[in-house]
Amino acid sequence: MSRAAQRDIQPRSGLAGLRERLGDEGFAFGLRIILILGIGVFLSASTQGQSFLSTANILNVLRQASLIFLLASGLTLVILAGGFDLSVASNLTLSACLAAGVMKATGSPLLGAAVALGCSTFAGLCNGMAVTLLRLPPFLATYGTLWILQGLAFHYMGGNEIFGFPPAFRLLGTGFVLGIPVPVYLMALVLALGTVVTRHLNIGQEIYAIGANPVAARLSGIPVRRRQLAVYTASGLMAGVAALVYLARVNSADSGIGEPLLLPAIAAILIGGTSLFGGVGSVLGTVAGSVILALVINGMNLLNVKSTWQPLVVGVVLLVAVLADLLSRGRRERIG
Amino acid sequence: MRTWNTLRLAGIVAAVVAPVLIGAQPAHAANERLAAFYKNQVDPHFGLVRGGVEAVVKQMGAGAVTHYAPTRPNNLAEQLSQIEDVSVKRPDAILFMAVDPRGVVPAIEKVNAAGIPVLNYNDRVAGGKYTTYVGADDFKLGLDTGRYALRAIGGEGLVVIIEGVKGSTTSDQRVAGFNKAIEEFPKIKLLASQPGNFQRLPALQVMENLMQAHPRIDMVLAAADAMALGAVEALEAAGRKTAKVVGINGVPEAIAAIKAGRLLATGEFDGYKIGCVAATAALRGLRGQPVPATIILQGTVIDRSNLGPWDVPMDKRVCPKWEEVAR
Amino acid sequence: MNAPGAVTRRPRLLPSIVPITAVLAIAAALAVPGFTSGPNLSNVGQQAAMLLMLSMPMTLVIMSEGLDLSAGALLSLCGVVLAKVLVAGAGLPLALLASMGIGLVLGLLNGVLVSVLTLPPFVVTLGTLGIAQGAALVVTDGNAVTGIGPQAASFYALAPLGVPVSLLIALATWGLTHVLLYHTRFGNSVFAIGGHRDALVLAGVRVHLYHIAIYALMGLVVGVTALLLTGRMNSGHPTVAIGMEFDAIAAVVLGGTAFERGDGRLYGTVFGVATIGIVRNALNLMGIESSMQVVSIGVLVIVVIFLDSSRKQKGRAA
Repeated sequence: MSRAAQRDIQPRSGLAGLRERLGDEGFAFGLRIILILGIGVFLSASTQGQSFLSTANILNVLRQASLIFLLASGLTLVILAGGFDLSVASNLTLSACLAAGVMKATGSPLLGAAVALGCSTFAGLCNGMAVTLLRLPPFLATYGTLWILQGLAFHYMGGNEIFGFPPAFRLLGTGFVLGIPVPVYLMALVLALGTVVTRHLNIGQEIYAIGANPVAARLSGIPVRRRQLAVYTASGLMAGVAALVYLARVNSADSGIGEPLLLPAIAAILIGGTSLFGGVGSVLGTVAGSVILALVINGMNLLNVKSTWQPLVVGVVLLVAVLADLLSRGRRERIG
Repeated sequence: MRTWNTLRLAGIVAAVVAPVLIGAQPAHAANERLAAFYKNQVDPHFGLVRGGVEAVVKQMGAGAVTHYAPTRPNNLAEQLSQIEDVSVKRPDAILFMAVDPRGVVPAIEKVNAAGIPVLNYNDRVAGGKYTTYVGADDFKLGLDTGRYALRAIGGEGLVVIIEGVKGSTTSDQRVAGFNKAIEEFPKIKLLASQPGNFQRLPALQVMENLMQAHPRIDMVLAAADAMALGAVEALEAAGRKTAKVVGINGVPEAIAAIKAGRLLATGEFDGYKIGCVAATAALRGLRGQPVPATIILQGTVIDRSNLGPWDVPMDKRVCPKWEEVAR
Repeated sequence: MNAPGAVTRRPRLLPSIVPITAVLAIAAALAVPGFTSGPNLSNVGQQAAMLLMLSMPMTLVIMSEGLDLSAGALLSLCGVVLAKVLVAGAGLPLALLASMGIGLVLGLLNGVLVSVLTLPPFVVTLGTLGIAQGAALVVTDGNAVTGIGPQAASFYALAPLGVPVSLLIALATWGLTHVLLYHTRFGNSVFAIGGHRDALVLAGVRVHLYHIAIYALMGLVVGVTALLLTGRMNSGHPTVAIGMEFDAIAAVVLGGTAFERGDGRLYGTVFGVATIGIVRNALNLMGIESSMQVVSIGVLVIVVIFLDSSRKQKGRAA
């Protein structure tokens, strides 16, 4: 047997071998855990353990992470399927504004929630139809919808804000159950649902397949367009959920709330190990990415680091996470 | 097939024309035409300014006012383009506030050279020629509000400041005012001073994190209401009942919060008044009536005892009398 | 016209953006008072100049199946550097060199990470966006850099033969990019890197060199654009150009360059820039409420790509 063939058959040693045994996903997630623990240890040490390690602070971080995660969860599915959705943040803005208006006018949180979710899901559906029926390239189509949704939000709000929502509704963002913030439960719920769908349902496997190789997926009988429509709709739906959590937490809405959330949502997905080419990644990864981002920002606030350093640190964290993935990638996976 | 294509074409034409029709402003009998600039379409403060401008334009029977705000909040490049475009349109007068006090100067100088009168309102621009400046004294606002707040906690305790956006005159001046007030009370300790970007969610998260680092906080001085309200939300969610918060602006939500006892006070930086007075000054200037070169609107500290005049919906608000402000 | 050994390209349809630009320009000239006036056309040209400069190398980046999200942040950083050098008393040429130097360094970083380490360009440039943005903020502590003297502003105000200097520089950049793309080996490889990269490697072409050069070129051009930006604003500001890369990307894709397969038309991008500039200017002149301006731009983007993709499909079916 040739040396090369022998090499291929025997389990590899070192980092690459560990990667083989854990599987790509497991390995990537393991790296994230190490990163989280590393940041955690660093922060505990620098703040003398008191402020960082307290239960309240950890729960804080998780709650801050959950808003970004909820927004990014649907987008993760879209990216897994090889698409993209730039409009999630403006979707959140418009849905939140409409829901706020309805809640103020009718006093009914249920109606407000229905409006937010209905509107955001519809926008997601439109994105999906633009990509599947009109065959528009996702990046640019959702760039167009980004502008449209944002402009509609500007028009609806007219430069004002809407504030003051019913206390029952506010529990969604500020409430605690058994000492844990409600948004964290939501994050766990969406994580569980997302993992079940992507790992254990056929539709999940089909999404990965479409992302990895759309032509092969189509040829093997997967209804590609229907699945794509589904993920864009899901992305819209989650933007609506995030909008409701935002309203509940911050207690007001204006036409600029979504814009600063777009890049952090994308960064969370990327830090979590999901590949933009599609077919690689997981919802769990996005949770890890959101937590890492929230940790970094929380740490900088605790250490009284000037906020001018924030973009720099986030950029570096992103590159570190991606490089960590790269270092463990086998050399034979890319020519040149 | 052909009907489908025509339908598609019609649909496309409709889609392109519709926003233009919706967004077009109705033509007025041509009297004076004003152009009013804002920093963004997002902050409710500018919504109030716009309300004041429009109220005066109606009251004084002027022709029309066109509002310009960047589509991306506080985007300098867009504002520069808007200034350049507006100088082609040649309105009779321009009400101007800058997204960046220094970056707009060359563009404004060109407008000056074109002979269009410009009035500077809300906060000062660092260059260019203006017929009048209408604004408030941000430093004094910060000082007065800070003094009020610190007196309210008995002149001693632990304090945090939530700043606005670094480099903006409003933020820097107000924070300087806060700091001066703190100097006057030796038993006050400043724990931290962090930027909240004039936005609610960042201020909320900053407050949450500050609460972790400092188990006891007695007073929060926020450079704007949006941030003060974010801090209030964070404190309430954490159950910290003893901490008090003050802001600056006097937007409707802050007034409601003061009534409900959630916000202690706010320094008056009334957008509606600013809009009123600026538009009045501009129209008076065009009609040849006397206008002072600087109008500083005095702001009081609004708390539960005196919030009546601000607790009024926008359509019922009244502009201040010219004689009172133009001394 | 093709360089020796160039890839033969089959004749392609005119991108939809060209007739759309024509229609919009004519509509604006007829319906919008003041649109065709000298000062206004000069404004449109000046406003479009910076976007044009960014979009030229961006076309090459996108043709190579890449993306550069850091362009806006880098532009702000180079502007800040340029301003700081002027404040330190040096002349405009030295400041420009410093700005181009910073642009080149970050461009090389992007290129190396994308080509040698094979990281996805979206991720890499998102990271360098943070780094450039962060560097700009840290160096200026969040404040604008003022007191730079009159050199930059007076340079920007020059108008040889009545044409604003910014527009001339932008057109020169177009010319340079055209020559690079269509008449050099580097240009040939740009077509191939998008979609056929492995073939190039196997053929022994020095792919890394050319691939890195694409991003380095972007950085250099950003450095020059910073001169225009600083001249226009008479100051340096750490966050001023955020988001400009999205406009450049939109202009490139509106112009018919697709994200996959290295199909690119440089003049298409120019029309894309022109369309965006005309629409924004016309809407401002018409006094359209800002919120509806935003919606209009979104609708325009969707309409153009819809027309493009349906024509491509008709071409395929034929």
